[in-house]
Amino acid sequence: MNRFAPINIILLLLSLAVGRAGFANAAPRIKPPLADTLWRLPADTAQHSNSARQQALELIKNTKLPDSSLWWPNIKLNLFIENLKANVTEPLKIYQGSNTNFCGYAAFTYLPLQDDPVGWTRFMLTLYLEGEASWNGIVFRPSKEIHQAAGTLRFKGILDIRPADQLWFLSLADHFRSYLNFFNRRFHPGSEDTFWAACNYGKFNRMIRQMLGWHVTAHGSDLLRPHFNHLFDYLTNCLQTGTTYLYVNNTYLHKKNHNKFRGSFPTHYIVLESITRLPGESDRVDLVYWDYGGRTLRQVDLRFLKKILFGVSHCTPPQHS
Amino acid sequence: MRTTTLYHLLFITLFLAGAGATSCTKLNITKYYRRHHPALDSIEDTYRKAYSQKPFSIEFTDRPFDRVSLELITDTLTYIYEYRFGETRLQDTLKKYGYDSIPINWLITRMRSMECTWIDKLDYYAEEQRHSLIYLSLWPRAFNSPFVNKKYYILTYFQQPQYFDSQGRLLTGRRRRHIRKINAAVFFRLNDKVAYTISDRFR
Repeated sequence: MNRFAPINIILLLLSLAVGRAGFANAAPRIKPPLADTLWRLPADTAQHSNSARQQALELIKNTKLPDSSLWWPNIKLNLFIENLKANVTEPLKIYQGSNTNFCGYAAFTYLPLQDDPVGWTRFMLTLYLEGEASWNGIVFRPSKEIHQAAGTLRFKGILDIRPADQLWFLSLADHFRSYLNFFNRRFHPGSEDTFWAACNYGKFNRMIRQMLGWHVTAHGSDLLRPHFNHLFDYLTNCLQTGTTYLYVNNTYLHKKNHNKFRGSFPTHYIVLESITRLPGESDRVDLVYWDYGGRTLRQVDLRFLKKILFGVSHCTPPQHS
Repeated sequence: MRTTTLYHLLFITLFLAGAGATSCTKLNITKYYRRHHPALDSIEDTYRKAYSQKPFSIEFTDRPFDRVSLELITDTLTYIYEYRFGETRLQDTLKKYGYDSIPINWLITRMRSMECTWIDKLDYYAEEQRHSLIYLSLWPRAFNSPFVNKKYYILTYFQQPQYFDSQGRLLTGRRRRHIRKINAAVFFRLNDKVAYTISDRFR
């Protein structure tokens, strides 16, 4: 870890500079081919915030889509539609794929799928139809490599047959950049498993602020653990007033080997849903959290939680902030 | 001069011992499976049947195989609990969530004796169809060597016979003969339905 500390500092400084300059690809784009303009979305009349799932399903049903898209040659329409419907009806089941670095984007998606399924569906349909789309004023113009890659990711579990999720995760990773992209600027086959797809803490909070307009109170960083005097009380307060993300070191939470020496850095985002003290035990809590396409209840020590915790992001919708 | 020669001899001995241990490690998995396949196959069979009643997975979280973690999977929530081996609380938990304790206790005991660190059911997709396999991770002491990193021996049990290339690598299918990866690893043939790999992760 110490060996890489100077590099990390340099990359952090670079990220500040690059972040302000705008790392996102800004190359001018050719307008979509004519064929796709025959298929159109119904007019946008829905109130996006807190919109109903039924409205989103109707939007999918009423939108005429071409059997194949010139923009997305590897996406099969039937799988795309099934994927959109599944995400709208069962938003908690969105899955980042096994062995990918998309966990930050999957965790981020928890919010729009819960709060604004119509907005999310409209964005996805527009992206499919026109090859580009905007969300809250942010224009997504995925690169050529992303157009080719969406629908081709394999051996990732259910993500194999979820082309809309592939398209969504790849587009987010392609648009939002950070210092982790310093050596991985462009997508190459297999990049979903590399730093190209990783999401550092600053970028994660930025995505929520910029795309959803939510207010985010963030404590933590990519390198140093934040200090909380009363972690249990702090998290309980956060849960009462908004959505709470935890940025954790997953090598302890979701152990994959028995190595005694593990890296001390965060690698995973989870959505905290509840925290309750076990009766008669002051340090032990029941933690319910969302990750990997499902909710998990787990008993942990608060000491353990402090050890793995690198960030707490408390998110409140615009009307509450 | 004499000291230097001694150092050289020591270095060469250590290198050869390490290389020997590594090569033995690579060779023995097929022999190990051949010798222990009745026990390993019975673990898989019992797990598959018990899983079809109510889904769960079992993990041993430490090297002495004294701590066992259960993942009890329901429609809405996955419960993760950890116990000491033989702890009575485990039985209470199984009862509370309506699991049949007989196969699960049998599995825990058998996995411990066979040094299996993890068993789970995984879904994989071929031709847009969902299939499942049983994923069994072994961490036998026999394979440990001080000169190599910790390795796990992963066995995958498929429901249908699989296709393999001439080097024994698992393929995606008969028509599309690409190498299939599971958990980012290439698997090799043990028999038509069982494949193995060596990995630094048990899941």
